[in-house]
Amino acid sequence: MDYKAFDRARRKSSPLQLDLVEAYAQRRVSRREFVRRGTLIGLSVPFMGAVIAACGSDEKTTSTTAGATATTAGGTATTTAGSTATTAAPATTTAGSTAGGTPVKGGSMKIASQTPSAPLDPVAMADLGSYGIVAQSFEFLCTLGDADIAPGLALSWEPNDDGSVWTFNLRQGVKWQNGGDFTADDVVATMERLVEAKNAGLNGVLDKGGCVAKDPNTAVFTLIAPNGLFPYLVSVFNAQTVITPKDYALGTAMEDKPDGTGPWKLDSYDKATSAKFSPNPNWWGGSVYLDSVEWIFSDDISTQVSGVVGGAADAIVQFAAVGGDALLNSDEFTVLKARTANHRQIWMRCDEGQFTDKRVRQAIAMCLDRDLMNEQLFKGTADIGNDHPIAPVYPYFDDSVPQRKKDVEGAKKLLADAGVSNLKAVLNAPKLQEIPELAVLVQNAAKEIGVDLQLNIESTDTFYNQWCLTYDPICDGGQEFGIVDYGHRATPDVYLNAAYATGTWNSAHFENADFNAAFKEYQAALDVDGHKAACKKLETIANDEVPYAIPYFYPSLAATSKKFTGVRVSALGQMFVDTAGKVS
Amino acid sequence: MARYLLKRLLLAILTLWILATIIFVVVNVLPGNVGRQVQGPFASEETVRNFNHAIGTDKPLLEQYGKAMRNLFTLDFGKSYSQPKVDVTTIIKKDLFRSTKLAILALVITVPLGIFAGRFAARRKDKLADRSVVMLGLATSSIPEFVTAAVLSYLLCIRWKFFHVFADPPAGTSVVGQFRYLFMPAVAMVIVYFGYIARMTRAGVINALDADYTRTATMKGLSGRRVMNRHIMRNALAPTITVVGVQIGYLFGGIVGVERVFNYHGIGLEMFTAIKNHDIPVLQTAVLVIGIIYMLSTLAADMLIAYLNPRVLMEVKR
Repeated sequence: MDYKAFDRARRKSSPLQLDLVEAYAQRRVSRREFVRRGTLIGLSVPFMGAVIAACGSDEKTTSTTAGATATTAGGTATTTAGSTATTAAPATTTAGSTAGGTPVKGGSMKIASQTPSAPLDPVAMADLGSYGIVAQSFEFLCTLGDADIAPGLALSWEPNDDGSVWTFNLRQGVKWQNGGDFTADDVVATMERLVEAKNAGLNGVLDKGGCVAKDPNTAVFTLIAPNGLFPYLVSVFNAQTVITPKDYALGTAMEDKPDGTGPWKLDSYDKATSAKFSPNPNWWGGSVYLDSVEWIFSDDISTQVSGVVGGAADAIVQFAAVGGDALLNSDEFTVLKARTANHRQIWMRCDEGQFTDKRVRQAIAMCLDRDLMNEQLFKGTADIGNDHPIAPVYPYFDDSVPQRKKDVEGAKKLLADAGVSNLKAVLNAPKLQEIPELAVLVQNAAKEIGVDLQLNIESTDTFYNQWCLTYDPICDGGQEFGIVDYGHRATPDVYLNAAYATGTWNSAHFENADFNAAFKEYQAALDVDGHKAACKKLETIANDEVPYAIPYFYPSLAATSKKFTGVRVSALGQMFVDTAGKVS
Repeated sequence: MARYLLKRLLLAILTLWILATIIFVVVNVLPGNVGRQVQGPFASEETVRNFNHAIGTDKPLLEQYGKAMRNLFTLDFGKSYSQPKVDVTTIIKKDLFRSTKLAILALVITVPLGIFAGRFAARRKDKLADRSVVMLGLATSSIPEFVTAAVLSYLLCIRWKFFHVFADPPAGTSVVGQFRYLFMPAVAMVIVYFGYIARMTRAGVINALDADYTRTATMKGLSGRRVMNRHIMRNALAPTITVVGVQIGYLFGGIVGVERVFNYHGIGLEMFTAIKNHDIPVLQTAVLVIGIIYMLSTLAADMLIAYLNPRVLMEVKR
C-alpha cells in the first residue's frame, strides 16, 4: 500500500467519498464495487485509479481498465463496441453482446419489441415498448455503463457532505436534434414535470423547485432528505427521467414532437407496426455504426421469438425462458441475460382475515418449492427469493438471513400452532407472463399442507384497473391473498417504501414500526456499511413477518443475432444500439 | 333489379345502425377507466381526468351515444385514443389496405382451387378421388387457422426459411416481393376455406348433374364441356357464391390468429389491439367497416346469383 498516495487521495475526498475510499482500503468492498459506488457518488476515474493504485490490487484486471468503463460507456461507439460481456454480468444490471470480430460501418438492424401501449410521453410511459423507443433519442443524466451507471448528459456529479444536495456538471456542446443547446434549464424543466407527475422513483425524494440551474452547465438538486443513491434515480434505471427539452409539457408525446440529444433520430413511427430511426449526425458521442434501426412491434412474445429465429428481426428486446428455447439453445444468437430485481409478491393481509397470524403466512411461504418454480418457470435462470425484496443483484444484499426452504412438516406444524385447520382462501392474480402458472404451483404446494386455494385469475386490465386503482390502499382489491408483479428498480426503495412502509402499494396492509425504522436507517445511510446493516434488518423483518412471499427474482433475457455485436441491454429491458454494428 | 338493390341497401343501413348500437353498448360495458387505460398507470389523476373530459367519457351514456351516432352519420370517426393526433380513418385505411391485399390473395387462390376441386370430386362421385377431396376438405377446415398458421410459420418460414416469418413487407417492396411476404398467411387461410368451397361446389354440381335441364342439354347434343360450363356450373355455383360472399367479410376481420402469428397488421389485429388499449373509436370503426364489408360482399354475392339465375329476381318481384 502506498500510504503517501492514499493519504493524498483521502484529503481530497468529501466525507461521503471518504467512507467509500476507506472501505476499499480496508477491503470491505471489492474493487468492482468501489468503482461502481465511486461512479455513483461522483468520484472521477483518475481519482479512483489513484486510490486503487495506492491500495494495490489483488484482482486480475488493472485499475485503469476498471475505471475506464465508467467514462467510456455511452461515449463514442469506437471505444465501447465489443467491450461488453457476452453473458450475465454477475451482480450487475447490464448485459451486452460481442459476437467476436469488430463492427463495421453500415447496414441496418431490426429489433423485435413489445408494442408501446400508450403515447410516447416520456414522463408517463409505463411499458418496455415505450422505454426502448424513447431511450434511442432521449438521454439520461446517468446512462448505462458496462457494470452500472456511467456519465451520460451529466459528465460528473458530486454530493455535499450528507448527500442531501447533488451537483451535476452537464456535458457541454450537446445539441437538441431540433436545434438549440442542451442546458441546465432543460434538466430543471424535466425534473419539474417528473415531480408533477409523481414519478415513482423521485416521489418523496425531490420536491417542486428542488432542482435549479446554477449556470447553463450545472444543475443542483436539493433533496427532501439525504440520499446516497440519488444518481440512480436520474439514470437509465428510472426510465421516465430521460431529459427532454424545456418546451416539452406534460402530455407531450415523442411521436408528435420528435427530438432528443441521443444517437438516433426518429424518422417514422406507426404505433401498430414499427418505429424507424436514422443516425443523429450531431450526436455528441460521435457516429454510430448502423445506417438505420427499425423497431418492429408485436404484442405476442412468441411471435417476436419466431420473428428473430426466422430472420425477420435481428434482436429481441425481451423474452421469457419458457417458450424461448429456440433462442436459448441456438448457436446463431447471443442471449443477453441481466440479473434483475424483477419479482412477484404473494401478498397475505396482515391486518384482517385468515392470514393475520404470522405463523400462517410463514406456513404458506414454507410450503413453496422455490427450486421447482425456478426450474419450471424460468429454466433455472432466476435467483431464489427469501421473502424479502432485497434481490441478490443489489450490492447491499445480505445473504446471512437463512434461506427459507420447502418444509411440509414444518409448515403443517406452524398451521397447527396457529390453531388453523382446513384453511380455504382465494388466490387472486393477474393474467400476466408466468403469474397464472405461479398461482397453480402455489395452489399445489398449499394443498400439501392442507390449505385449499381457489384461483381467481383476472385479465391485467381488470386486475389493475378495477383492483389496483379503485381501492385504498391500492393493489389489493379488498382481497386478503393474491399475487402482484414488480419490475426491476435500480435500488429497492420503491419496494421497501410503497409495498412495505408507506402503504401506497401495500397489498398486505403490513405495518411494522421496526421495519419502518430500519427503512429510515436505510434511506439515511450514505455509506456501504450503513446500507448493508439497514438491509440486513429489513431482510430479517420481512422474512420473519412474511407480508409477502417472494419466491424468485427472474432475469431479463434479450437476444441478438451473432451477425451483430455491441448491443447492450439494461436490467429494465431497454436495448441500446449506439455501439452496435454488423460483424466484419 | 334496382328495386331489389334499393331494398337491400335500406336493410343494410338499418343493420349498420343496430350494429353501431351494439358496439356502443359492448364497449361501454368493458371494465376500466378509459383515461387510465390509455394514459397508463403512471399518468397523473389530472391527466386522466382531462383526457376523459376531452373525449367525453365523463358525460352521461345517452349523450355519448347521441354523439357517437351523429359522428357515424357524418362519417366523422374522430381521433384514436392511443394515438391522439392520428385520425381513426387514417389508421383504418392503412389496416384495410393491408387486409384487402391479404384477402384478395387468399381469395384468388381459394376460389378457383375450391371450385376446381369440388367440380373434380362431383364428376367422380363416390370414387377415391371424390372421397379424398371431401376428407381433405373436412380435415383442413376443421383445423383452426391459427394452428395452421403456426405450423406453416414454423416449417416454411423458421425452419426452412422459404418465406418471411413476418408478413408486413417493408415500404417500397415490389408487387412480386410482397407476394413472398403475404403468401404464407394467405395459404393458412386457403387451407381453412378451401374445404368449404370445394364441398359446396361438389354438392351443387352433383345436384345439377341430376337435374332435368342437364339431361335436356346433353340430349340436345351439346358437348360435355358446354353442358358443364353453360348449364351445370351456372346453376351449381349459387350456394358457393353465397359461401364466398360470407367468407370475404370473415377474411377481413376474423383472421386475428393468422395476423398475430405472422405479425401482419391488418384490421383484425387492429381490433384486437384496440380492445386491449380501450381504443374505442378505432374498435368501433373497425367493426363497422367489417360489418359494411360483410354486407357489401353478401349483397354482391346475391346480385351475382341473381345474374346467374334470373329466377331469383323473379321470386323477389313476386
